[in-house]
Amino acid sequence: MPLCLRGSALMQIIDRIAYASPLRSIDPAQKAGFTVLVIALCLTLNRPWVGVAAALSVWILSVGLGQVSAGVMRRVVLAEGIFLAASVAGVAVSVRFDPFFIGMTPHGLDSALLLFSRSLGCVLAMNFLALTTPMIDLVDLGHRLRLSPLLLDLMTLIYRFIFTLLESVERIHTAQEARLGYSGFWRSMSSAASLAALLFVDAYRRSARVQVAIEGRGYDGNLRVLRNGYRWNMGLLFWMGAILALMIFAWSI
Amino acid sequence: MCVLELKDIHFAYAGHDRNALRGVTLSFPPGQRVALIGRNGSGKSTLMLHCNGILRPQKGQVILGGEPVTFERASLTNLRRHVGLILQDPDDQLFSANVMQDISFGALNLGLSETEARVRVQEVAELCDVTHLLERPTHALSGGEKTRVALAGVLAMHPSLLVADELINALDPWARQQVFGILDRIVDEGKTVLLATHDMDVAFGWGERVIWMEEGKVRLDGTAKEVQAVFDAENPAFAGHVPPRF
Repeated sequence: MPLCLRGSALMQIIDRIAYASPLRSIDPAQKAGFTVLVIALCLTLNRPWVGVAAALSVWILSVGLGQVSAGVMRRVVLAEGIFLAASVAGVAVSVRFDPFFIGMTPHGLDSALLLFSRSLGCVLAMNFLALTTPMIDLVDLGHRLRLSPLLLDLMTLIYRFIFTLLESVERIHTAQEARLGYSGFWRSMSSAASLAALLFVDAYRRSARVQVAIEGRGYDGNLRVLRNGYRWNMGLLFWMGAILALMIFAWSI
Repeated sequence: MCVLELKDIHFAYAGHDRNALRGVTLSFPPGQRVALIGRNGSGKSTLMLHCNGILRPQKGQVILGGEPVTFERASLTNLRRHVGLILQDPDDQLFSANVMQDISFGALNLGLSETEARVRVQEVAELCDVTHLLERPTHALSGGEKTRVALAGVLAMHPSLLVADELINALDPWARQQVFGILDRIVDEGKTVLLATHDMDVAFGWGERVIWMEEGKVRLDGTAKEVQAVFDAENPAFAGHVPPRF
């Protein structure tokens, strides 16, 4: 299975979880505000325990109140954790040429640990938002925050057509595979290249058809649609406050 | 009075020698089931895009309710208020991430308030049997559901003429039946449906009037029975399998 199709499957899983989340109907401002505060605290409070406390408590919040399955969380965090570990390895390992030295210093290790815990805390906060809030709710929030309508319209269209184009990729890939398009390295390279070219043409033609369809419904430069209704949840607000307090406590010890 | 008239429409796409439409004259009175048939490249889609003002005729006139369409913004808005266009692939029509938002798009573009638009959305969602899908993401719908949502999005504008380009081609028989149920209901309300199709059973069974396009011209325009008689005589291989009523 090509990488883009695997990515598509993961994206669809995240999207499905977000739509099915019991926290879906809660105001995205509440969830996004919490996420921003967690990230801000992770970045400003200079202790590794802050990130660890954030990561653990947001995990519990996502699995407990967000009802995200622990297996999904584990897989998502494992993939992100491996990526982060590989990235901070460069910070942990020092290389000097005169005199030659390659190894880890206590300072480098501390920096790497701090960076890793901070990043993990931020990543888990973003996961919480992504797994409980579909993109459409974030676009709604963007409108309420008076972000550029053009940017938000583009986000809406890009989000919608990612799925459509991924379907096209799957179709083209199946058609190529059925005719031995991926048997052998060079054939795979050639098929992948023609898939990319076909996808570009498909996207271009589709954009023209979408333009026709939305003009036919009176498009005048703004994608005006009804906004969803949301509510604030006091119980969730309490737990969010507790997590933020825990992070500050972790910093103070 | 006719909902829409096309008078001597000529149109050629840029870079093409041959005219896509060559003097098409048609009128659409209210409350008709009209099927549009013809080979690929005969001008059906081009004709439909003229009905909704997406394409502007190079010669000829589009007349809405007795008034020529001037193709200025106000005139185009008025044309699109009265003539709804639905494309073959609903994925081209559904741009929004959520069904309710997609259906509300046309209604809000007409200048309706949010409250009025919500009422419209509810009304057409019931008509098209998509009420249970309103909170669903558009990319998670089945083909038949997507078609019904796309139809609801156009019907939310309360068009007098619905122009549907090969709407039912990719649908299974059950989904087709549902879509024809919706089309029949809107015709019963006095609206006209112009449906382009390659399915002769649909054209002669569902359509009460059939327009046969050939090389950018109207070859025949008459009752389903009249057009079928000519069609069967010229195409004996296809003849004899059309049910009396779809």
